[in-house]
Amino acid sequence: MKRKLVLAALVAALILLPFAVFANGSKESSSKGPSGDVVVYTALEEDETADYLAVAKKELPNLNIKWVRYSTGELAAKIIAEKNNPQADVIWGTAVTAVAGMKDLLQPYKPAGWDKIPKQFKDPDGYWTAIDMFVAAFCVNTDVLKKKGLDMPTSWADLTKPEYKGEVIMPNPGSSGTGYLQVASILLWKGIKNGSNEGWDFLQKLHKNVVEYTNSGSAPAKIASKGEIAVGASFGYRVAKQKASGYPVALVFPAEGSGYELESDAMLKNAKHPAAAKAFLDWAITKHAMEGYSKYKLMVTLPGIESKSEIPLPPAKDVKLFPMDFNWAAKNKIAVVDKWTSLFQDKTKPE
Amino acid sequence: MSTVSMLNTSSHKRKMLSEKFLVYLVGGIIGAFLLIFMLLPVVNILRLSMTQYSTEAHDFLGKFTFGNFVNYFSKPVMIQSLYHSLWIAVWSMIITTVLAFMFAYGLTRTTIRWKKALYYIAMVPLVAPSLLQAMALISLFGSNGLLTQLLHLKWNIYGANGIIISEVLYCFPHAMVILFTALSAVDSRLDEAAASLGASGFTTFFKITIPTTKYGIFSAAALVFNLAITDFGNPIIIGRGYHVLSTEIYLQVIGMQRFDLGTTIAVILLVPSLIAFMLNYYFTKKSNSMISSLAKPEIPPSRPLKKAGFTAFSWTIAFILVSIIGVIVFKSFIKVWMYNWHFTGTHYQFKIPGGIGVLWTSFWISLFVAVFGSLFTMLNGYVIEKKKPFFAQPLYLLSVVPAAIPGLVMGLGYILIFNTKFLNLDNIFYGRAAIVIVNVIVTNFTLGTLSSISNMKNIDNSMEEAATSLGAGVVRSFIRVIFPLNKVSFTSNLIYYFMRSMVTISAVIFLVSPDVHLASIAVINLEKDGLEGASAAMATLIIAVVFVTIGILAIFSRNKKIGKPAAAEE
Repeated sequence: MKRKLVLAALVAALILLPFAVFANGSKESSSKGPSGDVVVYTALEEDETADYLAVAKKELPNLNIKWVRYSTGELAAKIIAEKNNPQADVIWGTAVTAVAGMKDLLQPYKPAGWDKIPKQFKDPDGYWTAIDMFVAAFCVNTDVLKKKGLDMPTSWADLTKPEYKGEVIMPNPGSSGTGYLQVASILLWKGIKNGSNEGWDFLQKLHKNVVEYTNSGSAPAKIASKGEIAVGASFGYRVAKQKASGYPVALVFPAEGSGYELESDAMLKNAKHPAAAKAFLDWAITKHAMEGYSKYKLMVTLPGIESKSEIPLPPAKDVKLFPMDFNWAAKNKIAVVDKWTSLFQDKTKPE
Repeated sequence: MSTVSMLNTSSHKRKMLSEKFLVYLVGGIIGAFLLIFMLLPVVNILRLSMTQYSTEAHDFLGKFTFGNFVNYFSKPVMIQSLYHSLWIAVWSMIITTVLAFMFAYGLTRTTIRWKKALYYIAMVPLVAPSLLQAMALISLFGSNGLLTQLLHLKWNIYGANGIIISEVLYCFPHAMVILFTALSAVDSRLDEAAASLGASGFTTFFKITIPTTKYGIFSAAALVFNLAITDFGNPIIIGRGYHVLSTEIYLQVIGMQRFDLGTTIAVILLVPSLIAFMLNYYFTKKSNSMISSLAKPEIPPSRPLKKAGFTAFSWTIAFILVSIIGVIVFKSFIKVWMYNWHFTGTHYQFKIPGGIGVLWTSFWISLFVAVFGSLFTMLNGYVIEKKKPFFAQPLYLLSVVPAAIPGLVMGLGYILIFNTKFLNLDNIFYGRAAIVIVNVIVTNFTLGTLSSISNMKNIDNSMEEAATSLGAGVVRSFIRVIFPLNKVSFTSNLIYYFMRSMVTISAVIFLVSPDVHLASIAVINLEKDGLEGASAAMATLIIAVVFVTIGILAIFSRNKKIGKPAAAEE
């Protein structure tokens, strides 16, 4: 009888073991110190993040930084799905147009050194603070151009020409921050704020040449690099990176001016580790952190730090930027994406 | 004397009672486990699909509505994903079933050589994540694929064709196992008899072989349909804008943060996959009833032409299956595919959260899954088949449903329900390894339970009765009698669970967190980031870990049947 009870207890223990093990595990790690853990969701690329964090670990030795990388859309979905019980404390480096749309889930916080960041790069109430800028660019596979006898495209207008039919890939503005900045910049360029519909007409023309709208902003550059297509509309750093890893691609900034987007930090409402979150956000705009970003970015938001990219990015002043209106872009995101989806999402087959 | 016997009966009664209690406890725990971790998330998805959602408030508003479904079926763009899914699934089903049948026929009804080798090679796709096929196809047949360039091919691998080919390669072993069992179970002397009565080869094949194995064929076809329609990895990689239901769920939830449309499409995907599953289940039962226990006679030597034909066919298939993996392994050592053919090991230095440690995380999570999954399903089979408590039927039903639920839907269900204050699971469960372990155990519960039940059926009740009459309690007789007799099925369930857990993508893609980074998800993320070399490297490591683990298990248990998936036991 006793043995049976012991065995029954054993069976029950075996069944409950996984829960017990992981429950204990989590308690242990959080009892190391109240400011020990900080959970970071980021949309920065994984390889660059690893470099930044090497610096962060040196300067914040008491923080146990747990991070996970999502695409801009994935990150937003995670934050929303978890909103009743946030798992993350901090959002680090995601598209500002995505963050600005969910202020109800954020906790305003002005990190130390906030005053040094120019006002166009931060929310006046401290909901978000931008750390860097990324810029739309084309990834053009020169090998494919040669094989197909195509000219180097230099502008968005070029991409609407019939000879590029079936040779263009773009990101989906719904899921990709890059995709949205491209679409928003085209709409703004064609004067949507004055009630003009020309932007949508232009996108319509572009749509005829596009074979696929990808989920992420880096995918078009990657697909073009592989030689699967001639032109991928992506962003500057990604294209330069592909070039540096040996692909026969050219980095082209559209002649109309490149749309750009800010990558920004924010703190989650009801974050479980507020003190640690603040410490991390403070660090994220320090000079050292910014110097880290500058190795990968065209431009960082802290004045006085030049881009020191190890891969060949042109100096920021040589890139023609399209004057973006982030307030407009953030406010109209849902409407624009909805309209875009109903017009273009039926792009299902390469014609 | 009388006191002694009285004491005996009362202790016997107590024993019976405690045994009954134990069976109820174990059955109850498994039932509760399935109710909470399988039924609840799915019912919740069903509920949310009929609840109004506000994109401004980022929340479900609690009001009942059919609006989401009206919305789905009124938009041609949306409804297209349903057509696409059906198209893909039907073609994958037809092609896979035909190829797998011919392959299994060759193995069971002809005298081709190297049958064992062919059987194991056919199982090879099981060790790789379900996007590997698409990755390999693009490397070979994409616009700038190796073979496209070498042979100057003009066709396009992207879209529906690419998905169908990937699914055929992915589903092949699943169909082959079922057809192999069906073909070896039916007495092949029927074929012989027909032939000796003067029927031609073709007549025999169509009048005897096909009809006697038809339930096996239907069951394999339904399974392939189910697998193809619920797969996520291959369509997302090779679909290029050809949206199917599973990619549409992902796009709506992850891309657009539209949880309402995501849950709605999840429910729509549930319908065909549920129907396919029920058909598979029905035909499997029918097929099993056709099994003949007659001794298998020697197969007469096949005619040279037939033998040559089947040898060529089988080895072509085997070659393709191995090449798919080979291409990825090869690619993981190439600097830049198609542009720089130098060998390099740099792709194996992973710059991802968790680094190479993701492989370790996946490994120990898979060990947990394997041990608890096979233990649970064995206990479950024992309770249902041998102990038959009053709730055996409902428990059985609960146990077979998971196969019908797409992994992606289950994963979505998990994030929508287990991060609430519900049961206070959010702190110990959500975002931890346990949620992944439980999810993988649940999504693969059906096959494990079915194989365990059919094994229990083969164990004569008299064995256990003998043990009981010799004084062994239920626990003892389980450990000393039932468990040893179940070793083979237990080990193959162990391997099945381990493999599934290492390679699954769709079930866990919503569940990775800062604490839990998985190798299979790293493969898809690296691929999405354009680091295709690193992605191939991670896939190679997963395959290596699976092979090595199976090898070690095989050495330890020294059992020839090892490596056969659980399905083969049915």
